[in-house]
Amino acid sequence: MQWTLILEDDARCGRDNMSIDHGLLQAARTGGGFLRLYRWNPPCLSFGRNEPAKTRYDGDRIRSLGLDTVRRPTGGRAVWHDRELTYAVAAPIDTFGSLQQTYAAIHHLLAAALRRLGVPASIAPRPSERAPRLGSGACFAAPMGGEIVVGERKLVGSAQLREGDAFLQHGSVLMEEGQDMVARITSGLSSPIAATSLSEVLQRPPDYQDVARVIATEAERCWKGSWTRQTRSPDAAVGDKFGDSCWTWRR
Amino acid sequence: MSSIPDDLQYTEEHEYVKSDTEDGVIIIGITDYAQGELGDVVYLDLPAVGTEVKRMDVFGTIEAVKAVSELFSPAGGEVVEVNQALDADPSLVNTDPYEEGWMIKLRVGNAAELEQLLSASDYAQHVGE
Repeated sequence: MQWTLILEDDARCGRDNMSIDHGLLQAARTGGGFLRLYRWNPPCLSFGRNEPAKTRYDGDRIRSLGLDTVRRPTGGRAVWHDRELTYAVAAPIDTFGSLQQTYAAIHHLLAAALRRLGVPASIAPRPSERAPRLGSGACFAAPMGGEIVVGERKLVGSAQLREGDAFLQHGSVLMEEGQDMVARITSGLSSPIAATSLSEVLQRPPDYQDVARVIATEAERCWKGSWTRQTRSPDAAVGDKFGDSCWTWRR
Repeated sequence: MSSIPDDLQYTEEHEYVKSDTEDGVIIIGITDYAQGELGDVVYLDLPAVGTEVKRMDVFGTIEAVKAVSELFSPAGGEVVEVNQALDADPSLVNTDPYEEGWMIKLRVGNAAELEQLLSASDYAQHVGE
């Protein structure tokens, strides 16, 4: 397997980040794997692919606060992307095995990397109750089985898309708190946030480059194949749906 | 072990095909193995009645807690019915994939395409069971 590690120097807007991640998924369909580590500028609110954003969130308040918004190609619920490290893995669908094996392989890698930083990260057990429907608010409102937690609080939120012969899984490693932004723009009552952050766990502000470096090193060590590094992603596609408000507010 | 009924046909992409009571119409859903892999299903994007699909076209998407995945049509034809119950309760795909959790009914254009599907034993081998 030929892996490409993309350690982004520059933070990007929501539209570019989602377009690039989706582009990596398309590239993975022709072989090769990608691990991209990146940030967001300006901070951005992302909706899940099928989330009912028009009714769930207060569009007027989002506009009055001047928030950047984007709808992800992946599912799940809203995430406020500000002080976080975001990862994206795109690869052929049989790289790690089945869907659950893929999910587990990526989360075990991230958890191992975080433990190297001194974070007591573990994988949440499968819950006995069914998952909530899409209208239930923030991604970080409650951990699900297989997710990365500290204690019972979620540290990483992830989502996966499988198209053709490839998958894209991306997710947010919370560097500092801030997911209460989702509650601020939610119409009506929202679920309480059950998240933690590296800052809270480590009792110091984490350094983005340190976190990115330890994840990259762990991936190069654990995921077999040859690795090449680059500091820039391929350019975002011009005119794709991620910059289109009709896609962002389609539901 | 997941349930793989002997009297159904399957695709490598984890859809099942069941004969409807009406001649030339098949019922399509995803297998017990697939729903187990996906986890709790939270949303389905299914085609409108009247939609024409070709064999192995993507006819919809399914969102579960673990992933969003495409749904592939095991044969070409016209969508004649969509399971409206899944709008209100997509978890039927998890709890009863072969009965209440079916997704679409398709009037098959070329019955010979169904001969290319997997038997239950072939599918069991495909998923390693």
